[in-house]
Order: sequence, then C-alpha cells, then structure tokens
Amino acid sequence: MSALRIALPSKGWEEVTLDFLGHCGLRVDRSNPRQYRARMRGLPGGAAEVVFQRATDIFDEVNGGTVDLGITGYDIVAEHRSEEDEIVVVHGELGFRRCSLVLAVPEGWVDVTSVADLAEVAVELRSAGRALRVATKYPNLARQFLYDRGITYFELVEVSGAIEAAPMLETADIVCDITSSGVTLRENRLKSVAGGVVVESQACLIGHRRGLLSDPERLEATHGLLELIEAYLRSRQQVSITANIRGESAEGVARRVLASGVVAGLRGPTVARVFPKDAAAGDWFALTVVVGEDVLLAAVESLRHAGASEVTATQVRYVFEQQSWTFEALKRQLYGPADDKTDLEKTTAWSSS
Amino acid sequence: MPSTDRPAAPIQRVRGTNDVLPPEDARLRRLEANLRRSFERFGYQGIQTPILEPLELFLRKSGDEILARMYAFSHWNRRLCLRPELTASVMRAFVDSMQGHGLPVRLHYAGPSFRYERPSRGRSRQFTQVGMELIGAAGPAADAEVLHLACAGLEAVGIKKYRLVVGHLASTLQLLAQLGMTDHAQGLVLDQLEPVARGRLDLDGAVARVVDRLGGGRMNGSGGDAPPGLPSALASLPPDQATAIASDILSRASLPIEGGARQPHQIIQRLLARANRPDPTDQVRAAFEFVAELRSAAGQPARLERELRPVLEKRGLSTTPIDEVSAALGFLQAYGPLSDEMEIEVDLSLARGLRYYTGLVFEIYVDAEDGPLQVCGGGRYDDLVRALGGREAVPACGFMYGLERVELALGTAESPRPPRVLVVGVDPDDHPYALKVAHELRSVPQLIVEQDVRLRGVKSALRYADRATIDLVVIVGRRERDDATVVLRDMRSRQETVVPRGELVGVVQRQLA
Repeated sequence: MSALRIALPSKGWEEVTLDFLGHCGLRVDRSNPRQYRARMRGLPGGAAEVVFQRATDIFDEVNGGTVDLGITGYDIVAEHRSEEDEIVVVHGELGFRRCSLVLAVPEGWVDVTSVADLAEVAVELRSAGRALRVATKYPNLARQFLYDRGITYFELVEVSGAIEAAPMLETADIVCDITSSGVTLRENRLKSVAGGVVVESQACLIGHRRGLLSDPERLEATHGLLELIEAYLRSRQQVSITANIRGESAEGVARRVLASGVVAGLRGPTVARVFPKDAAAGDWFALTVVVGEDVLLAAVESLRHAGASEVTATQVRYVFEQQSWTFEALKRQLYGPADDKTDLEKTTAWSSS
Repeated sequence: MPSTDRPAAPIQRVRGTNDVLPPEDARLRRLEANLRRSFERFGYQGIQTPILEPLELFLRKSGDEILARMYAFSHWNRRLCLRPELTASVMRAFVDSMQGHGLPVRLHYAGPSFRYERPSRGRSRQFTQVGMELIGAAGPAADAEVLHLACAGLEAVGIKKYRLVVGHLASTLQLLAQLGMTDHAQGLVLDQLEPVARGRLDLDGAVARVVDRLGGGRMNGSGGDAPPGLPSALASLPPDQATAIASDILSRASLPIEGGARQPHQIIQRLLARANRPDPTDQVRAAFEFVAELRSAAGQPARLERELRPVLEKRGLSTTPIDEVSAALGFLQAYGPLSDEMEIEVDLSLARGLRYYTGLVFEIYVDAEDGPLQVCGGGRYDDLVRALGGREAVPACGFMYGLERVELALGTAESPRPPRVLVVGVDPDDHPYALKVAHELRSVPQLIVEQDVRLRGVKSALRYADRATIDLVVIVGRRERDDATVVLRDMRSRQETVVPRGELVGVVQRQLA
C-alpha cells in the first residue's frame, strides 16, 4: 500500500490552495498550522501524504521524485522545464493564482510603449557601447522571449530581493517580473509595455513521470484527484434551476422551453410530471436544467415565458462527464504518443465549453 | 557516495547530439579528409579555432535568427557560447593574428558547430562544418574560385548530381536602402528572407512580423503617456525648443524623465522621432514584393539578362550584381568541366540564414528521398572584418559543407574494409614472442594487426576473432618458439598451416591478396 505523496505550496499560496482543494472536496488535516506535513482525505485508496514547500522548490521536489504530484505556478514550471526532465503537467489550469510574467520599463521612458520600442532602445544603447540590463528571476523565459522578438543586445541581471526596485537602484534598466494587479509595478514607477507578456500563468498540477508510471495505486489516486478537480472546475459558475411549469405533456413543455434557447442546459432539460395537491390545478411538470451563472436571469425570464411559476436555483458543486479528460490526456503523456485523434479533440472540447 | 549492489543508472546523451560509432567514424573522417584535400591543392591551409567563443562574436553580425538558436551561457560572469558556425571564428582569428599576412589568405577548417533546433533527419544540434575562406580578394575571379572548390569537393567524394543555386545580396540591400529603411528595419527584413524562401512563412506573414517588430503600423501619436497629436505638434518646432517644452510638460505631469542609463534628451528625441516616423507597412511590403519578384525571375543562368536585368532596371537599381554573377559563372566554366549531371540556377532572392553576407551567395542541394537536402552554403562577406575590429575592410568569400549531410547524400555505400590479423600467444609466457611477430606483420602496408592482450588462451581469442570478423589469426606457443615457426589460421576457410617465421610476411600478403 503506497500513499500518494503531494507537495502543496506554502507561504502566500497556502490559503488559496487549501481553499481550492476544499472546494474540490479534499480536506487537508494537520495537527497545527505550522506543521510541514499533513494528510489529505477524500481520495480513493486512503489519505495522501502532504508536504508544504515553497512554490519554487516544488518543481525540483517533483522532478527529483521525492513526491508524486505538486501544485505550483505555471511560470515556475515554464522556467525550470527541460527537454529531459521527469515532469508531466497533469493539469495546466487550476484557475487560481493567476498572474503574468511581463516586461516593465521605468515610467520615465515615455518613448517606450511597446516591445518594438524596447528593441530600438536596445539598439540605441548598443551603439553607445552599453547593453540593456534586464533584472529577472526568470532568465530562461526572459532570454528566449527577447531573442524571439529580435532583441539580442541585453544583459540579464540576477537580483536578490525585490526585482521591481532594480531600475530605481540603477542595478538594471528594465525588469521581467511577475505581476497580477500591476500595483507593485506602479509603486516602483514602472509600467508594462504592449506585447510584453512573456507568460500568462496560474496554478497547475505537475507529476513525476516515472513515479506515476511505476505505481498503479498512486496513478489511481491521481485519477480520483483529477476527477474531483475537473468536475469542480467545470461546475464553477453553473447553477441548477428547477421550475414548475403548467403544460399539456412533458414533450410539449420540453419543446417550449428548448425553443426559448437560453435554457438548453448541458444536454437538454429534464422534465418530470408533478402530481398537484389540488387536482383542479391542471397538469404540471417540474423542469430541471443546468445553466451558466451569467445567463441565470435570462433563463428565469424565458422559463416564465414558457409558463413557469416557482423557480429555484442552486449552485452546482460538481459536473462529471463520462470520463476525466485530463486523466486520459495524462495517460497519453505517460504511455507514449497519442494515436487516437478523437480523444485529443474531446480534451480540447471540454476546456472551451 | 555509499556503495550499493544496484548498478548506477546509465547516462543519456544530450538530445540532438550523436555518438559516432565505428565504422561510421572512420567513414566521416575519410570524407572530411577527402573534402579538405581538394582545398589544399589550391593552396588553402588548415586552421583550428576554439569551439567556445565569446557571445559577442556572434552578436555583431550573425543576425537574430541564429542568435535565438545558440547555446549561450554565462560562466564566471563571462558571456560565452558554443560556436553556431565557423566563419565568424575564422575571421576573428584572422583579425587577431593574420592581418599582416600577404593577401589573399586561404584557409580551410573542419569542426563541430552547435545550434539549438528541433532535431530531424539531416539536422542535429551538433554538426560538423567543413569549409574554407578566401580572405583579401574581391570580385568575380575570387567568387569563381570559391564556387569551383565547392563543386569540385563534392565531385571528388562522389556526388555528381547536384544543383548549385547562385544569388547576390547587393540588389536586395540596395533596394532596402533606396526605400529609406533604418539599419534596424533592414536587419529585420533580411532575417525573414530565408524563412520566406524556404516556404516556412508567406509574404503577408513576413510583412506582419517585421511591422510588428518595428512597433506596428500606427506610429503616429501612439505614445501611451503623451496626448495624441502633441508629439506631431512638437515635431514642427526646432529640436531644442521641442525638447524643452516636452520635458516641461512631462515634469508638470509628475513624470520625471529619469532614465537611469538614458539621458532625458535622448528619451525626448526618440519620442519625437518616433512620432514623425511614417507607417513602415508599405516599405516593408515593397521590400518583400521585390524579393518575390526576384524569386519568380529565377532559373537558368540565361534568365539573368532576359528576366532579371529588367527587374533591376525598372527600379533604377544597379545591375552590377548581374554582371558579377555572370562573370563568376563564366570563370567557373573556364576551370574545366563539371559533372554532366549538375545544374546551375540563378536566384537573386537567395538569402542565407546569416546576416553578414554582402555580395554573391550560393547554396548546393542534392536530391534525397524526402526532398532536396542542402549540403553546402556560402558567399561573400566584405564587411565582417571591419565589424570584428579589423584595421581596414578586407573582402572575403567562403563556404562550408555540412559533413553529416554530405554523408547522407552519399548514402551508406560500403567502403572496402582493410584486412585484419590477430596475433595470439598460447600462454602468457609466449606474449613477448607474439609481440615481435605482430611488429613484423605491421610492415605490410594497409594491414591491421591486433594483439591478443587478454591472455585467456587460444580458444577465447578465436571466439573474439570470429565475432570481430578477423581475417587471419597467427598463433604462437612454446613449440612454435622453439621451431621458429607460427601457426596461421585462416578464419574464412578455418584452415591452419605451420609457417616458418621468416616467411610469414610473404605468406600473409599472398593469402590476403
């Protein structure tokens, strides 16, 4: 019996990660909040072992195989990946901790609003015998991004501590750093430039390739984890609506409701006969349908048009489909190249739905 | 490390690199030697330069496309790289220590180069360039020598069916200047010519990419922090006055121009210059359309006059490139006949992946199973010596083969294997005697003589001889030492004969003849 080992990010990431797992139905227990070890309940095959680590260290822990899975930032994965590593991205979009790696220049550079301007400034500095100095903790991503945009005369500056302060301290000219709201950039009198987004990032789940391949029990626990994550993410912003509608037959009610368009639901409405307390009230049907939160009021309105009286709406907690597409994608990553094209299409279909 | 019984995990070789195993290694070395031998007959001398170079060497003139694919790194605060090609290295060596030599200097070289690209058939991340440079000679006579050697080298190693494509970059360079493009914009266009020529990018895509890198098609008043129209209003004033007003406005708006490395007046001037710059889209499109027109006029050398001359004349461009290509091809013929199966194509749109070329450029293709395989490329680069810090401009021209690609083009025809003999002592005591016998056998030219050194006896040695496809085994024991004889076993026929030691060399030569 081997328990799944998973690394979760500590420090500023901890609360939001535990919140996310809680929503997925996974509870992390530990004897006190300063413990680095804990157990996570809610997966098949028993509790998983949890270790809390800094998000930047989790990549190495997973790559080295001391844990099977880890939650960290996509930016960190993109920076640290190599062609021959042991990492598989198990789920790339967990939907929290969104941020961007951007190029930012001093506000005083009023002539620089785009990456193309930056390229010219690099040329200008070069002819003055200087290189554009870029402070960053993401040297691989920054270098590739600048090269790809024709900026070749630059120097990456390794800064310990606050990257954003580097231009003010004149240890660098510009920065390539993570931002979510842009507040820190503004406080340091920096501005982002058009076309200067290096990577859009959010939390993601990564796994150790060989570890998952070699242990069917851990792989099965991973399957359970993905089912829950995927069903939770799919359920967000979905509401389940139940309405009582007067009508002549179930088919007639369904036809009227479908014709209104808005309340088609995930596949179509469920219509069931209601047996009213008062037989003189006529024929009534209960209709259940799942719609997006953003169209809730429109859906209610069209149901009223279709003859609905009482309408209740509840938040949906999970939406499961006939299988976990991310787990199928993981298996293809683990067991070799995909030869089943239809499966791939399905994988992309759900993420856009 | 604690010792365990478990074997250590094997080390994988780096992706995109290859181990060259026997007999492949011998084949490649022979091929390299044959290619370089043809250069030596024309007075070229070998040169070796380091694989490790300062990154700066390739930043100067190689072009952005190659820079993005370099193995570059920082080692103890020095920016270094693995060389992506050898011409820049050879020219650095020339500038460093050969500037005083009588011109022309003729050099040839071979060695590994590194590019971080998607590995595929005929493309590894480490590959071997074999090439030459003719330094200090300008004009068609020098170009023709380089062209001739590129073709003759291939023919010397057995490639007779190939296509030589000759171009000239001066027409494109002149057009870009005529269009009034900045150096930066010209470089961006030049970098995209190769992807366009190879069909990796269409014309619209190329225009969009260059315009995007130049800041898009909306230059006027696009300064995000300045009110629209203001820069153009300022631009009508004398520069000093405009700068003063702009600085004033910006400081009133609490946007102090503290550029760190950049002076406030530089920032303001660039802001104003940018506002006055026209939308580059039309210029860039005109450049790519011109190149496309050159491409459609490409073909047999006879088309130079009929098709290409009017294209250049129509735009008021110099026709010198046509004259130079014609003259070089004329001289090339005078070197003597090349293979009947080779073809020459003239294509003035030909662009190489490197930015330092200035004049005639060329590539050689061989048809392979999966399409044309480029085995050779080169051209004239008259500005590189200055760019690398040379005292004066020195014209130069050269080319390089991709050794592995030449081999791929040749196919894996089995070359004759030299004969091999193994000498075995029956006991360890017999080893010194066996060594003397082996020494005598090595006087036979071409013969490879191996010595049994595992000393595990005749049976074990014969087993090895079988697996290693040895032709003859010479066995010596106490009896043979006493009689001054040896036992000669023919591994092909399994026959053994006793041969007097004095006659051994003669007998071996006869048996292998």
